[in-house]
Amino acid sequence: MEKLSSAGRKEPETRRPLGAAVYQWVDERLGISDVVKLAAKKRVPEHKHSFWYYWGGVTLFFFIVMCLSGVLLLLYYRPGESAYESVRQITYEIKFGWLIRSIHSWAANLMILSAFVHMFSAFFMKAYRAPREFTWWSGIVLLLLSMTFGFSGYLLPMDDLAYFATKVGLSIPAVVPVVGPWVSDLIRGGPEITSFTVSRFFALHVVIMPALFIPLLMFHLALIQKNGMSMPESEFDKPEAERKSIPFFPNFAMKDLGVWLVALNVLALLAAVFPWSLGAAADMLTPAPMDIHPEWYFMSSFQVLKIFGGIIPGVTGEFVALGVFQLGLLLWFLVPFFDPSTKGGLRAKLTTYFGLLTIAILLVTTIWGYWVLPSSH
Amino acid sequence: MIAIIAVIHVMISHFAIGGGFFLPIAEAKALREGKPEWLKKLKGYSQFFLVLTGVFGAMTGVAIWFSIGLASPSGTSLLIHNFVFGWAIEWVVFLVELAFAAAYYYTWNRIPDRLHLRLGYIYGIVSFVTLVIINGILTFMLTPSEAWLSVAGSGQEATVFFQAFFNPTYWPSLGLRTLVCLSMAGVFSLVVFSRLDGEKEGTVKRQMIQWSAMWLLPSFFLMPFFLLCYLWLVPASQRELMALGISTIGMGVFTQVTRMSLITLMTSATIVVVVYLLAYRNPRGFRFGAAMVVVFLAFLATGATEGVREMLRKPYVITDFMYSNGTRKNQVAGFNQQGYLTASSWAPNKSAITPQTAQTNPSYAQNPTGDRMFLGQCMACHTIDGYRSMKALLRGRNEEAIGNILKMLHEPSSDSPYKGFMPPLVGSPEEIDALRSYLHSLVIPTL
Repeated sequence: MEKLSSAGRKEPETRRPLGAAVYQWVDERLGISDVVKLAAKKRVPEHKHSFWYYWGGVTLFFFIVMCLSGVLLLLYYRPGESAYESVRQITYEIKFGWLIRSIHSWAANLMILSAFVHMFSAFFMKAYRAPREFTWWSGIVLLLLSMTFGFSGYLLPMDDLAYFATKVGLSIPAVVPVVGPWVSDLIRGGPEITSFTVSRFFALHVVIMPALFIPLLMFHLALIQKNGMSMPESEFDKPEAERKSIPFFPNFAMKDLGVWLVALNVLALLAAVFPWSLGAAADMLTPAPMDIHPEWYFMSSFQVLKIFGGIIPGVTGEFVALGVFQLGLLLWFLVPFFDPSTKGGLRAKLTTYFGLLTIAILLVTTIWGYWVLPSSH
Repeated sequence: MIAIIAVIHVMISHFAIGGGFFLPIAEAKALREGKPEWLKKLKGYSQFFLVLTGVFGAMTGVAIWFSIGLASPSGTSLLIHNFVFGWAIEWVVFLVELAFAAAYYYTWNRIPDRLHLRLGYIYGIVSFVTLVIINGILTFMLTPSEAWLSVAGSGQEATVFFQAFFNPTYWPSLGLRTLVCLSMAGVFSLVVFSRLDGEKEGTVKRQMIQWSAMWLLPSFFLMPFFLLCYLWLVPASQRELMALGISTIGMGVFTQVTRMSLITLMTSATIVVVVYLLAYRNPRGFRFGAAMVVVFLAFLATGATEGVREMLRKPYVITDFMYSNGTRKNQVAGFNQQGYLTASSWAPNKSAITPQTAQTNPSYAQNPTGDRMFLGQCMACHTIDGYRSMKALLRGRNEEAIGNILKMLHEPSSDSPYKGFMPPLVGSPEEIDALRSYLHSLVIPTL
């Protein structure tokens, strides 16, 4: 094909490689080169704490696995009356159904674990400081939504473990004065957990939660793109010329992908060696098992409720415990205001100690919660 | 215990072979391309190589002998007797191998380069011969060949030595293991070179890391081919074990082969990509921690694959000849007629039950027949309350239920759930009764 030069003479066009030609054609219509330029700007600092930069990506990876395995489970899961039977078929009849279910369950646990690691590493690197306060807040909400995902998904198999764990869990909002019982009834779809509750939780798990989670996740990721990766204080002490960084695309992205593959192998190992089994179908007429307990990420709250229930008897104790949780969460939210400065000082140190104390409390109460279970002795 | 010792040994021994080629080839490349800094690193590498393979390789190899002798004395005895000269040659070759490995390290910069290279190549070839030999014995266990089975137990086994040695799965297995050797060389080399300083020795580190990563490529492309050949030659009844866990995990332990196969597939397919992304694309920043992650994946791949290979033999230790518990297939009818303990090495000597025995070995004193039946026929694979715990597996069952399980094992039908994994239970009705009451005495009663 020939094109006209500025003098009006026809000049032969030089042939371009096919890939470049296709890229240009698409770019003229979609403007992807602007996105590429924006992505190319992003750099990742390289220092001795760079290991912690991977954990957000690992959490995202597990979320992607959750979505994919969740869609596959959707092909066979039937909410409502047939919930248990459909999960039984998935686990014991459908080819590799047990594997998809195990992947989904394990990835859920690993996602929340890596979210905690990511949150605490961001905390100790003081990544909540300006201009990243909204990243911090959106991250906390994402963690809470993840735990809600876990809670809503836990009921869906409707075996006795799922039923009783949810029953115990839903008794907690009921302790809030005035609105508590109404809220619990709203969540349950009635005074008891029934097939209606399963349908409700299914809608929550598959529609409502993703509709809340995904936009917030996009917001969280967009902020990271906009504000760049934070650095620990030790890097700020170095002169700018000594600070090292690598481009996110393709250098860090390649390493990230490698770490994702390692995470995939860990997930595959857990799903294959410790596949998720199914208990007996939920029977509302039987009493709860003596060692009934929620999943590990709720164990700390579960144990704190028990502790306060032991000190202040009745629902008052549980209500006070709920208040303590809310206070803790509020303080966690407000950390960027308490410790906004980039210079080390008393507030910076106190915030770090607060973080360490939080981890200690979470670990101790979680272990304590398991220790006092009847089946552990 | 066998599993952990064996997997470590497989990793080190395959590295011993792959490294035996890696080192002289790398040395030749360094000499050809004028890279003296490579030669310095390779000398240090060969010291690590000598210690790891010579000491830990040998130790874990000997440890395997101890563990298999405990777990399966009859099987071990059969292998020794059938392949006496094979074993003898193997041990001579080990000695030669170690001598050349030591010579290769200690003669660095002391003898002409060409001679040193030759030492390295001879070491590599000698090391490969150890694989050639052990591969014959290992693959014999799964596919002993029709020729050997037709003369087994007649005293004429030596006449079919080579047919038994070069059995149906020999060649695909040799191909697979050779590829593993090359990969292990790559993996361990990545560990060694990850310790180089990426800033001070950036160029050397980049060259050596990228070159080591390439050693995983042959297995990535060729392993699927050899694996398919191998599986095609595994007897169909054994291959069926791999499918037990596809539709369900409801069969518990019987789905293990499927689950382990999935781990094999996942780790083998991804390890090369992980090495490409973490090491090849970022050689200067590839550190020891990341290298250990690669070793972990290699450990998983090795463990899962060797586990599948071992489990595929169930219920035999020598396919179609000897069951996992040492009972030979052609002894089953005789044991059922005359009793197991009359002809087995586990026969109780009732006169040996003294007041001391009641204290030191109460279960034997209480029920010597049942105790010995358990010892002879069950303990090759089950412990009382440890691995594959008998107590855990029988929990909640009464004596009648236990009796029904034993009946299913004694008279296995074609659709018995235990058929693929468990040897038939042999013995007289009195011996089986004694075993039933022994097992019942182990069971923890439910509330």
